[in-house]
Amino acid sequence: MAITRRILGKLTLGLIGASTFGGVSFAADMPAPFDKPGDVKIALVRYLSTGDFFQSYLSGVEAQAKALGVDLRVLDSRQDAALQADMVDQAIALGVQGIIIQHGLKESMKEAAQRAVDAGIKVVAFDVDVENDQIPQVEQSDRDLARLALEQAIKDNGESFKAGYVYVAGIAPLDRRDETWKEFKKKYPGINEVAQFGTMDNPIANSVANQARSVISANPDITVMFAPYDEFAKGVKIAVDEAGMSSSVKIYSADISTSDIAAMREPDSAWVATAATNPTVVGQVSVRTLAMLLAGEDPGHNVIVPPTLITQKDLMDSDIKNMEELGAKLPQFAHADVAMPAWMPNPNAK
Amino acid sequence: MVQEAVFRIEGLRKSFGPNQVLGGVDLELRAGVITVLMGANGAGKSTLVRIVSGVYDRDAGRITLAGQVFSPSSPAEAIRAGVVTVHQNINDGVVADLDVATNLTLDRLNGRGAPLVFNPRRVRREAAAVAARMGLSIDLTARISDLSLADRQMVAIARAMAHEPKVLILDEPTSSLSSAEAERLFQVVERLRARGVAILYISHRMSDIRRLADTIVSLRDGRISGIFEDQPLDYEGAVNAMLGKKISAGDISVRAATAPVLHAANLQLTPTSRPFSLTLGGGEVVAITGLVGVGKTALAETLFGVRAPVSGGMTLDGADYAPRSTRQAIERGVFLVAKDRGENGIVPGFNIYENISLPFLKRISNFGITSRRSERDLARTQIASLGVVCRSERDEMSTLSGGNQQKVMVGRWLTQASRVLILDEPFQGVDISARRDLAAKLRASAIGRATLVFVTELDEAFEIADRILVMSEHTLVGEHRNADINVDKLLAEIAGQHQMVG
Amino acid sequence: MNLEQTKTLNAATGAPHPVHKLTIRELAIKYGFLVLLLGLILFFCAFTNGFASPQSAVFILQSVAITGILALGVTATLVVGGFDLSIGSVATTAMMASSYVMVVMGGDAFTAMLVCILIGVVVGLINGFLIVYMRVPDLLATLGMMFLLVGLQRIPTEGRSIATGMTMPDGSVASGTFSPAFLALGRHRFDFVLPNLVPVSVVVLILLAIVIWFFLEYTRFGRMMYAVGSNERAAQLAGAPVNAYKISAYVISGVFASIGGILLAARLGRGDIASGNNLLLDSVAAALIGFAVLGAAKPNAFGTAIGALFVGVLLQGLTMMNAPYYTQDFVKGGVLVIALVFTFALSQRRR
Repeated sequence: MAITRRILGKLTLGLIGASTFGGVSFAADMPAPFDKPGDVKIALVRYLSTGDFFQSYLSGVEAQAKALGVDLRVLDSRQDAALQADMVDQAIALGVQGIIIQHGLKESMKEAAQRAVDAGIKVVAFDVDVENDQIPQVEQSDRDLARLALEQAIKDNGESFKAGYVYVAGIAPLDRRDETWKEFKKKYPGINEVAQFGTMDNPIANSVANQARSVISANPDITVMFAPYDEFAKGVKIAVDEAGMSSSVKIYSADISTSDIAAMREPDSAWVATAATNPTVVGQVSVRTLAMLLAGEDPGHNVIVPPTLITQKDLMDSDIKNMEELGAKLPQFAHADVAMPAWMPNPNAK
Repeated sequence: MVQEAVFRIEGLRKSFGPNQVLGGVDLELRAGVITVLMGANGAGKSTLVRIVSGVYDRDAGRITLAGQVFSPSSPAEAIRAGVVTVHQNINDGVVADLDVATNLTLDRLNGRGAPLVFNPRRVRREAAAVAARMGLSIDLTARISDLSLADRQMVAIARAMAHEPKVLILDEPTSSLSSAEAERLFQVVERLRARGVAILYISHRMSDIRRLADTIVSLRDGRISGIFEDQPLDYEGAVNAMLGKKISAGDISVRAATAPVLHAANLQLTPTSRPFSLTLGGGEVVAITGLVGVGKTALAETLFGVRAPVSGGMTLDGADYAPRSTRQAIERGVFLVAKDRGENGIVPGFNIYENISLPFLKRISNFGITSRRSERDLARTQIASLGVVCRSERDEMSTLSGGNQQKVMVGRWLTQASRVLILDEPFQGVDISARRDLAAKLRASAIGRATLVFVTELDEAFEIADRILVMSEHTLVGEHRNADINVDKLLAEIAGQHQMVG
Repeated sequence: MNLEQTKTLNAATGAPHPVHKLTIRELAIKYGFLVLLLGLILFFCAFTNGFASPQSAVFILQSVAITGILALGVTATLVVGGFDLSIGSVATTAMMASSYVMVVMGGDAFTAMLVCILIGVVVGLINGFLIVYMRVPDLLATLGMMFLLVGLQRIPTEGRSIATGMTMPDGSVASGTFSPAFLALGRHRFDFVLPNLVPVSVVVLILLAIVIWFFLEYTRFGRMMYAVGSNERAAQLAGAPVNAYKISAYVISGVFASIGGILLAARLGRGDIASGNNLLLDSVAAALIGFAVLGAAKPNAFGTAIGALFVGVLLQGLTMMNAPYYTQDFVKGGVLVIALVFTFALSQRRR
């Protein structure tokens, strides 16, 4: 029965697409259980929530959930690992059909995730490895992020330069970006890392700016700053500006936000390139992956959302001033063709 | 009174460093008898209580309980032996955050052999038994912090009685109770007497003493100064023995007051006390005396704007005077040298001159900016005129002796002219020579203001006052010119005898 | 006239009394921390490149300007015997508020600053009211305020940081921008010895340090605040309106924190969501280290400024020597503990 419906749905969708009636799809055309989306309840269990990235991620989740028409519950543990595990149980008790686990600690989430799977609930994990074959991992590829930014750095500065590196160990995405940095240093022996610093004291940009000031006055010959996190890059940029060295230092980073765009667009900005995955897209992909599971399809174990390189030149040439314009003018940034079966509604289509 | 003593203290001595606090105390307590212990501040009452309850060690002496040597090394041991103390501070006797039942059985939760696991039902059963024995009708599930002071006191006593003591010591149990609440306490104490407990009751309150005492023992300067057991009890003699000395009028030349400065009409300090009137004249020094807790500090604070009277009004130099804050009082020229200088006077972080200038900074500042030079000048003047022994006006207060600290406190209020200068227990913790200096200075500077001194010690009043007023039960009960004093009448008034006379 | 009276009179008439020789311990208590600071500066000058320069000196001041200003504010509450845990979140709330006024509401720099200062005043009044009239212990009242503000600053933007051109929760794009005059607070530099040397935040720090130092040491209000902190009852019986002084201390602390927040927003050029806990911890550390300076053993503005400087020198030097961030926290903690030992163990024994 369900299978028939799904095939039917696919057929109808294909028909509609072919007859260019537009992206609007009707619930009746969807595979079960999305033929009655109002009855589908899913939960987003969050570990991290403050900051632009997480806000955008949430809006992506909300947009895709809305496009599907499902009932979304957001449970926010605010960096409390134990609470996050409890919230998974809470979601089970709420009777949801699917759970997205957004960040968290492997140790605390592994068993909670298993309990959800045991309860017959479909689970997707974003940026936390719960070591479970039945749980697909949605990832933004941090290695690719770092690789894109560093390739641009080598393109701009050649294969040998003096570099400053901002890094705080023990934070998973930063650790993965660090692996790529180490590979690049091995591959290009001309890269000379003269200083490493970094802090997570908030406001992070302010604290990093203080450190970066010390670093560039101790090492005025640094030409490249690799700051693979936008808060770090923002701090380095403040320090470089304050030291009046924005013409001699170039900053390469990862992640992006509206205020980052503004900072990169400033006249003579030292911040020349960043590699980013659109957090909204990551949010959408998370929901889509879960939806595929619920519809009985296999999204694959690792669902990777590819990053985009964004240079100062791109921003200036296309006159991009905020995230919306970035999405509109760099289509590869606004949408990723990941976990996108034909029946899946595209939240970006209006 | 033929009965043998249950509890006997012989030759008890205790010193702290060079200070001898108890110099050979002998005391006997008998079963079914309430023995009242009277003593002025510093007489050694609390030291005696602490030794008996196992808090302090004694230096010398012998204590026996029912013929056995009693020498507790800790409060718990004293309790186990059968000597239980209810301390003055009620909250020491109960745990405010727990319920009544737990409090009543608290001591069983401690000590060796206490059960590891606590069974609430059993606790409540045991507590109910304790309460029933005491005739206590308090909700056992109520939290102590929700009870009135009197109820807490009852719980503290009931908790003490749960040990079935042979000796019960009550240290000023009514000091924070109203008279109705005190009456309930008295009934409990009488019930315990009837059950044959030997009770040591420590109090200043004449009404308590008259109500309960079978025997009165007066303590003075660490020695027993009088034992009164013949009925009817000689209350006056007991007070006399407690205050000690051969009381005699001072040898000062009494001055007559000029025009009245402050007049209080029908002033009522507490809702239940009798209103009184008071007039202070220019140039005179008036002492108000009375036992501890009769309302002397309440009156001082009322005059100084710290608290408002229940009813009645005041005039200062003929104009209405109703200060609502200390600042208003100071602005009108009414100053108070508060008692307990460590608590109420000294700012420990400040040196001498900063302490002296404190109330009058506004007067010696320009546009809010202080002038340390004028502060130091003022301080030097006071140091010289009062004879404060110090290296300089910049010395820390903690380097001064008690007497010199007090001179600084008084000097603080002499830097500016006042209309009424009030001093509450100004000679507390002050050595004899500093006391003489202060008294002389106060008398010498008295012209142009009214001076009011509150003292518990009679001889201090004789030493300084032109007029002596007696306070009892929050009202004025007697007045004497310090020239031809009827000492017997004065003592009777202090002891509260006036009520019997009329 | 006995001997004692003669001595007294000597003191009273200002005759010189024998010069009091300081013992080694007293010297150590009084000047130990300043010597340590000097030694630290010499050490870094010798062992790092670029430490010994006017730019470096100014930069150290700039790096501690914001925590220093917060620390001066919290000093006022320490003086009256209180404490203010909300300063960090007041600063970040002011940062968000100024950004909100300019970016979302399109206000100018002056309005933004006015709103921030007003927030500081109101938070101080509420803290003071809770502590004085509601009798909530200071740590708890200001802790509550801290949580309240951390939440409040997120409500208008639903948790988004504020930047020029940001998207609002309803999907519209904010039209305002940071006013250049406001950004100048974070970016303008005054000429001093060298052109374009001293940033505005350092000037503000120095001015506020002088103001609060003068206020606490030389005005009767400051003196009364010390009296309230040292013995509240004695201060009350000496005619001081104790409650008013306590509330004023929290208002001072709130206003200083909001000034810190304005400078933070001007430096970052956006409104960052942040709890400000690190600002709080660093500024409290500076104020507590200040107890040890010159053997004061009490909160004081000069000591707080030196304490902030001490932390700044240490962090700047360590970063220049490539020490990782966690060693910096470790060293900061170590300095604080040593300072507290100076204050409580050593100077107490003197008494």
